[in-house]
Amino acid sequence: MAEEEKKDFWARFFGSYIWKSIFRVGIPRDRRGRLMQVLSNFFLHLHPVSLPKHAVKLKYTWCMGGLSFFLFIVLTFTGVLLMFYYRPTIEYAYNDVIDLRETTPMGIMREIHRWAAHLMVIAVWFHMFRVFMTGSYKAPREFNWCIGVVLLTFTLLLSFTGYLLPWDQLAIWAITVGSNMAAATPFVGQEGPGVALLSIGNVNLIGRTSDARFLLLGDTSIGAGALLRFYVFHCVFFPLIAVFFMVVHFWRVRKDGGISGPV
Amino acid sequence: MDTLKHVINVLSAPQVSFLAAAIAFFFVFPPTDRFQSWNRRLRLDWLWTVKGGILLHALVIGAFFLSTLDPNFRAIVTKPDNVPIALLLFGTLFFLWLSMKQACDNDARLANDQKPNEYTDPSESKILVWPDLVYIELIAGILCMAALIFWSIALEAPLEEPANPTLSPNPAKAPWYFLGLQEMLVYFDPWLAGVVFPVIIIVGLMSLPYIDTEPGGSGYYSYSDRKLYVSLFMFGWLLLWVYLIIVGAFMRGPNWNFFGPYERWDLHKVVALTNINLSSLIWVKLLNQPLPDNIIIREMFGIAMLGFHFLVIPPLLAMTILKKFYARMGNVKYAVFMFLSMAAVSLPIKMFLRWTINLKYVVAIPGWFNL
Amino acid sequence: MADSKQDQADKLKAAGAGKAHGHVAKGHVASGDGQTRRSFISWVVVGWAAFAACMGGLATITMRFFAPNVLYEPQQTFRAGAVSEYAPGEVSTRWKSKFGIWIVRLDDRVVALSTICTHLGCTPNWLASEQKFKCPCHGSAFRMNGINFEGPAPRPLERHKIYLDDEGIMVVDKTVSFRQERGQWDEPESFVAV
Repeated sequence: MAEEEKKDFWARFFGSYIWKSIFRVGIPRDRRGRLMQVLSNFFLHLHPVSLPKHAVKLKYTWCMGGLSFFLFIVLTFTGVLLMFYYRPTIEYAYNDVIDLRETTPMGIMREIHRWAAHLMVIAVWFHMFRVFMTGSYKAPREFNWCIGVVLLTFTLLLSFTGYLLPWDQLAIWAITVGSNMAAATPFVGQEGPGVALLSIGNVNLIGRTSDARFLLLGDTSIGAGALLRFYVFHCVFFPLIAVFFMVVHFWRVRKDGGISGPV
Repeated sequence: MDTLKHVINVLSAPQVSFLAAAIAFFFVFPPTDRFQSWNRRLRLDWLWTVKGGILLHALVIGAFFLSTLDPNFRAIVTKPDNVPIALLLFGTLFFLWLSMKQACDNDARLANDQKPNEYTDPSESKILVWPDLVYIELIAGILCMAALIFWSIALEAPLEEPANPTLSPNPAKAPWYFLGLQEMLVYFDPWLAGVVFPVIIIVGLMSLPYIDTEPGGSGYYSYSDRKLYVSLFMFGWLLLWVYLIIVGAFMRGPNWNFFGPYERWDLHKVVALTNINLSSLIWVKLLNQPLPDNIIIREMFGIAMLGFHFLVIPPLLAMTILKKFYARMGNVKYAVFMFLSMAAVSLPIKMFLRWTINLKYVVAIPGWFNL
Repeated sequence: MADSKQDQADKLKAAGAGKAHGHVAKGHVASGDGQTRRSFISWVVVGWAAFAACMGGLATITMRFFAPNVLYEPQQTFRAGAVSEYAPGEVSTRWKSKFGIWIVRLDDRVVALSTICTHLGCTPNWLASEQKFKCPCHGSAFRMNGINFEGPAPRPLERHKIYLDDEGIMVVDKTVSFRQERGQWDEPESFVAV
């Protein structure tokens, strides 16, 4: 009796007006239902409805592209959580990072964020390696390979800008070296070659307070300006650009004929 | 045991280990038919069988864990920030083996006029994304998240002393994925190593599909049909990137000196490394003359070396061993391909010269061009 | 086969179009209201050039936005004590952490060496036993007088302005620097004679 009531409840639940308005297709029980499931769901429409057999084999894809994306989501989520406690100023940054472990509830958020960042770099590399070894960059996927290289670059940039935020010794010296490389850029860095050419009379156009490094740090040395800038780059600017390229990357995977495979 | 450790310390010095790795590399990953026949004769392709793989992994993992018995080695590899490097190394080994094994299997199938393993007959029905792929994704995500949480509970994320703008840590290391670049910075001027090389790497990677337009080997693992490209890619990836990460992470100690894997990181290790430019090496040391005042004459040997490397060797190769390849590629593609490959080869040459004769610059025109 | 024929046809068409285009552009074929096609094209060029100029201007302004007008720098001058406080041949790390300066007493002069490595800006350490400054980041090394001799550093350490004030106390001014490769190390403000 109770069993029947239960069944009745779920049947009514799945058949209700509200449920049906959210999920147009009922629970898939046949091939057509399963196709419709993918087609009618926004989050699944990234996928085709069906794939060749080798595409779901782990030894072909290594799952690395998907894991890269998954880790990006994890990083976005934990990153937003960290932003609730972290203040990007010289006075607070270091202590806030300590507090994230010592006093904040669920004190492993920063750990998850950091280790996931490392993992994402590794996953993106292995993804590229897989794509290379299977020759999947060849026609018609040439351009998508290029977008992938851009995404790899942004993965590294995201990781690198995040490096400064704890404001510890590791952070400041990694950024010192990195930002001095900007100062060594030909023509636009004050230490770079060719900069002497860019002058009017005796006045150099590119100097200590007008070169690429200065624009990056907002100062002549690493300080409050650099910390705030890297924070904005890390939390807003680069993720937005990366998301944009990711969208194009995934879209192109579909448009260039889905997952690669032998003809 | 100590003698063995000492021998390994000596052998791991980059001038020895890199040279050995570079020579062995071309037999393990043959770029041409000639090398491939050597590879077959030495039966090196056995590495990419299941037995070979087990042996390879057992050797590397065994050596790693045996080494952790050594306190100096253990002190370095167990730093929390070095955990991802260990992960990267074992991962690289495993995926290298996995891809090469499948490539060799497919090569054998193709040689027998069979389709590659990945091939599905069009008449076969396809696999549905719901539920087959979606479940795999779900499980992969859950496993990944579980591993992450476990890792995060087990290991605290490193945090060093608060930032101090007047005291650099010793040694001061870049994030591990940039250790290859940091190593380059030791040998080249910042605008080259920090700006030009990354741009060449990125642009070079992007140009890959436009250089390698040969249709074979698309969509399945393979080696024989595309050995030149795979070999060069592996050269860049394994020797110029992963090897330099290992060196940078595990073998660069205080004052950025080299230390063997079992050597104690001694703050006071004295290494004399007085630099010398190619110009003074040739003019002063070999010819016993003062340096000429004219910069072009002073630097002509270096310029000649560079010219030979980038302008003479590629045409020579095009006329000899790469004749067929050149004919297929045409001028422009061949030139781009050769520029990228010769640039990749020139890095270890310069590094090697620094390790052996402390060469600072091949061409030194201060303020303009130091290489 | 069909493809290649199609290709050829396309090529022919394209070539024909090009020819026709060139021909029309040369001649002054008037359109309805008396405007020639050439003048129309030149207006298009002017329009696009103006658009590009605007976009370039916007980009420049945006870049300029990133360079602040006012900097809050730490104190750049300080009094470093009397010459007699430094022993001959001494490298003093007294002001290193506070002002980023080594006071070095050479044979005939006292100089203020910058603690910023000329390679990529790390802070080298003075190794007294080896009589050299060694940078921990990429292994550059400098002699006591600041000349580079090891590793990747492209030029010697910079020296800063140093002078005696009215009371005979040395004052270091970090806003002025002297570079050896520009021949500035013999300028009178770059050292205090002993």
